[in-house]
Amino acid sequence: MELFDPLMLAVLIAGLYMAWNIGANDLANSMGTSVGSGALSIKQVIVIAGTLELVGALFFGERVTSRIAKGIVPIDQIMAVDPNLVIMGSLAAILAAGFWITFATFFHMPVSTTHSIVGAVTGFGIATTFYLDSFTLNQIEWLVLGKIIISWITSPLLGAAIAFLIFTLIRILLLGKVSDPYKLEKKFVYLQIISACFVAFAHGSNDVANAVGPISAALSAADIIPQGTIPVWVLAVGGLGIILGLATWGWKVIETIGKGITELTPTRGFSAEFATALVVFGHSYSSLPISTTHTLVGAVVGVGLAGGLAAVDLSVIRKIFISWVITVPVAALTSGIIFAVLMEVL
Amino acid sequence: MPIEYIRSVLGIFGESPFKPVHTHAEKGVEAVHKLKLAVDAYTKGDFLAVQTLNTEISGIEYEADIIKQTIRKLIPSSMMLPVDPNDLLSFLKPQDSIADNAHHTAHWLTMRETELPLELKQGLLELMERIVKTVDAYENTVDDIAKLLETSFSKKEIKRILKKVPVVEELEHETDITKKQLQHTIFKYEAELGGTGVFYMITLVRDMGNIADSAGTAADRLRTMILRR
Repeated sequence: MELFDPLMLAVLIAGLYMAWNIGANDLANSMGTSVGSGALSIKQVIVIAGTLELVGALFFGERVTSRIAKGIVPIDQIMAVDPNLVIMGSLAAILAAGFWITFATFFHMPVSTTHSIVGAVTGFGIATTFYLDSFTLNQIEWLVLGKIIISWITSPLLGAAIAFLIFTLIRILLLGKVSDPYKLEKKFVYLQIISACFVAFAHGSNDVANAVGPISAALSAADIIPQGTIPVWVLAVGGLGIILGLATWGWKVIETIGKGITELTPTRGFSAEFATALVVFGHSYSSLPISTTHTLVGAVVGVGLAGGLAAVDLSVIRKIFISWVITVPVAALTSGIIFAVLMEVL
Repeated sequence: MPIEYIRSVLGIFGESPFKPVHTHAEKGVEAVHKLKLAVDAYTKGDFLAVQTLNTEISGIEYEADIIKQTIRKLIPSSMMLPVDPNDLLSFLKPQDSIADNAHHTAHWLTMRETELPLELKQGLLELMERIVKTVDAYENTVDDIAKLLETSFSKKEIKRILKKVPVVEELEHETDITKKQLQHTIFKYEAELGGTGVFYMITLVRDMGNIADSAGTAADRLRTMILRR
């Protein structure tokens, strides 16, 4: 199949829409804290976040992308029988995740794009067993899926623990010792710029996969890219889609967050961001797709537990947990249904 | 924005209740400073000014009440604060009484026009002076909460603020002594003032004393809040 085949184009467009969403909301969220603490202006954030997101995606996006493309559902086995199934499945997965993200965003639910795409890919895998006799439920990598889901619980906890540690160190070694803590905050602005860069880089390395994973699965099924590799241009498409989302809509989200966060000083912002970036990048290295936003929320709670924030609203955690539990089955089911419809129609 | 296409982490950041707590303290102090003007006017026999000032103090007290309600709304059970929320609320209560008692006193001043002997006039002015000093010291203590939060309760800042609490308590104690002396003096002028006059003055002085009492209690609860953290 060629790149400009209508089906392939549909996969690319849907993937770009997913990437746009990631840039418009998820990346914007991770960057909003820097604007909120006054470390960076919105324009600076967009330039920095855009650049480092792309760098993260290009140089470290491959591991998680490959995990989403073929780590959960072994597409090689399906491709060997009918490559078309993989292309349809990828389209179904991206569409399902995209629909759910769009719906959730309109209703302000703290849903993760990562959870959506993992659920959707799994849904495609399960649906395939109905169409392919040689492919059974046992062939889905449940162990890998289990590991990913466990990492969704541990990553915010890890974010909280590391942020707690970083802020406690700052508190004991610096805030408690200096004569003017406000001067110290000013110095931390520079460190926070570095941590913001690190967050964008880590985000790119982990979240580009949410858009590019299914695209690369489809591309390799269509024999456009060689099996088992993810060319840089594919990652670049995802990265650019994310930057587009940030530039066209994300700035509004950043603005909203920047105005809303009044309590986060640079020392607190640095602690939360650095912890988030460390956890997200660590997971990218281990090929585990996690939610940057949820990790950030965990890190903020960690700073709060260390006594760094005047008020942390823990009711958000319950909301995150609920949307977390809903997302995977809904995305899986939608993906399965879209896949079945595509199989009927095409 | 017509449709808010936004998923944000904003919800995790609660609004700090400590900023309105500070504004609330300022309202109390403002009311007391106005009350000083009212007492001045009363001793000069300018009862019209007393009326006007009473209206102003009533407005300030009302504003303080609104701020108090806002603070309560900011601390639902899901909110994680660096201090025990119950301690914060029980510190807020006596702080709120500062404006309440100032209003109470101002209102009482409008009740009766009394021509006072010079000694009692001076006594009232001296008592008011001490009350103003007490609440000013209290405000000075509350001002440090911001820095305490900024350093996330560093030992240095805790020490600093805890040194200021006894200052308020000492001033409150001095106010109390002045109050008792004045009450003693009031009875000296029993014949001149008459029974109603004595009752009026004793009540006035007691109400005034309550203002300093509230500041002292609030300072003490503030200390408890910090120490029990």
